[in-house]
Amino acid sequence: MLDATTLEILTESAKYDVSCSSSGSKRVNRKGGLGNASVGGICHSFTPDGRCISLLKILMSNECAYDCEYCPNRRSSGVRRARITPDEICSLTVNFYKRNYIEGLFLSSAVFDTPNRTMELLTETVIRLRKVYNFNGYIHLKGIPHADEALVMKAARHVDRMSYNIELPSERSLKLLAPQKTKDSLILPMKKLQSALIYDRENKVKRGRILPAGQTTQMIVGASPESDGHILRLSEYLYRNIGLKRVYYSSYIPVVKSGLLPAEPAGLLREHRLYQADWLLRFYGFDVDELCGEGENLDADYDPKCAWALKNMQLFPVEINRAPLEMLLRVPGIGAKGAYRIISARKFSPLNFDDLAKMRIVLKRAKHFITCRGKFYGCEGNAARAALLLDEKSNFCGDEEDRQLSLFSSPSAALGALTGEL
Amino acid sequence: MKIYITDGSLESFYTAVFRAYREKDCIITSCADRQLSFDSVTENIAADGEMAGRVRAKLDRTDRYAAGDIDLALRSCSPLKEQTAFEYIRLLVQKNRPVRDMLSLPAVIEMTELIRKVTGEVHKMKGFLRFMETASGAMYAPYSPDNDITDLLAPHFKARMGSQKFAIHDIKRKKAALCDGHGWFMAQVGEAEVYLSEYEKAFECLWKRYYRSVNIKERPHEKQMKGYMPVRYWKFLPEKDGHDPRQ
Repeated sequence: MLDATTLEILTESAKYDVSCSSSGSKRVNRKGGLGNASVGGICHSFTPDGRCISLLKILMSNECAYDCEYCPNRRSSGVRRARITPDEICSLTVNFYKRNYIEGLFLSSAVFDTPNRTMELLTETVIRLRKVYNFNGYIHLKGIPHADEALVMKAARHVDRMSYNIELPSERSLKLLAPQKTKDSLILPMKKLQSALIYDRENKVKRGRILPAGQTTQMIVGASPESDGHILRLSEYLYRNIGLKRVYYSSYIPVVKSGLLPAEPAGLLREHRLYQADWLLRFYGFDVDELCGEGENLDADYDPKCAWALKNMQLFPVEINRAPLEMLLRVPGIGAKGAYRIISARKFSPLNFDDLAKMRIVLKRAKHFITCRGKFYGCEGNAARAALLLDEKSNFCGDEEDRQLSLFSSPSAALGALTGEL
Repeated sequence: MKIYITDGSLESFYTAVFRAYREKDCIITSCADRQLSFDSVTENIAADGEMAGRVRAKLDRTDRYAAGDIDLALRSCSPLKEQTAFEYIRLLVQKNRPVRDMLSLPAVIEMTELIRKVTGEVHKMKGFLRFMETASGAMYAPYSPDNDITDLLAPHFKARMGSQKFAIHDIKRKKAALCDGHGWFMAQVGEAEVYLSEYEKAFECLWKRYYRSVNIKERPHEKQMKGYMPVRYWKFLPEKDGHDPRQ
């Protein structure tokens, strides 16, 4: 059996990868096999940092040939090194899975020997897990840049999801901080996998379909100077042109001391705002141009939807009983579920303000942007801004550390300006 | 006020609905020990196949999914579950059509809420249930859910465990889903004596070690952890040392 120290080393090396979801695949169990995939994904535990554990997230090895500046496993760093065999990984996965600790395996690796040798061993592991151990649970495999295309395709036939981490949002930063990686070594395999995936989907391939849960990627935010606008444009391109399922953002934490990297962490607020904007792009019908200019950052004081609404007050208030779905989705404070609930409830009787409250639509923000049967209960102009700001403050500041608070660029000052106290 | 007390079964509930339907001021409940007001009259309802059948038939004619919804709602731990379901049936009969989407009506809101809590817990338990390997090779999972969901949970694990034998044991309600590797069934199980396999402790330790290592200490967010993984479930989680901090 695997020894605990090895597991610890390889887990600690893998933990900065944000992605942990097990959704998007409905792989079924085969006769005599173990496991299946649940399409909505299942979280099995939560760590004290608030993240979920869904997959056994582990590196095959952290002995890296590369020397990326931001990475705790880079060649020149002094961390403990370890490597495990395909069989050890398979047995651990199966045993954790049987106890319902995990939903599957998230396998990644540092580049040891050569990219091809690394990819070969990763591929061998997942095929072994599927064929010898007859495991049909979820597998997320990390792609190794510069590895041979045929190898990558072979692996992709056996796993549910693959991801190439973009890491840094521009070619320039990549060159500076991760010189062995290039934009092409990341984007090209993504494109190849996606076209194979679309081929399978269009030809209704049933068995051994490539990547049923698609692809994802991850970017570090705040290690390099790119603006939110730049990052979100890249995300929009990845979603709409390459067809990725998710882009993860990881706010930079200085684990490595380097002259090329900032000494301060980027803070959770920036990451939070990026995720909010990301959701608006994917589920709320927003375009990136509506949310954030090319070189700009997202507003720290208001969430991106609220900031958009305040800039477009000529569109509000909207009448809750008549507004189309697209417009309801754009009301700050009303989420996708709330919008659908309103649409179905109003078919039977017109809704007033109390009805909305009873339906658990959160009105704290929404009330400034809606009317119910012609009645308006919010505040207008600057009073609305002030109320929204106060609300956002109480929302986010409660459990954040002082360091995070400063990101609001002193909310009391901003509030003072609005209410005319200055 | 009249209070109808059911024995907790579906059939007894439908019988009570049949009896109570014409009355204006009455309550259906399965909690015999609820506090009575001075003018209340109680009656225990035994299941009656014919009465229950007539209510079911009317329900099925009105909305063929309603019976399924009521089955879900009555698994709830809420003391008001029978009354909520009763009012939902009244509304169904009054409107004579499915009312599921009339989301601004109180009866529908309360019913939706009950169902959401039950199905929500089923989903949570798909993740938080923990099996241990016994000396005989079967997997055993004790737990204590808020709602009565064991038979809703069993098919999920049957599908993924293949020919593995397993038991899911609701300690509080003293019942268990037992699977012999082919089919599964429900049984009354009070206390179970379990002998663990020789590897069990080792895998549990590996799992605890994994749990500790994957956490990022620089970004503490306990509140979020407890929000997603309520402390009342910790008792059965090895990574939390099987410990509910409130006790």
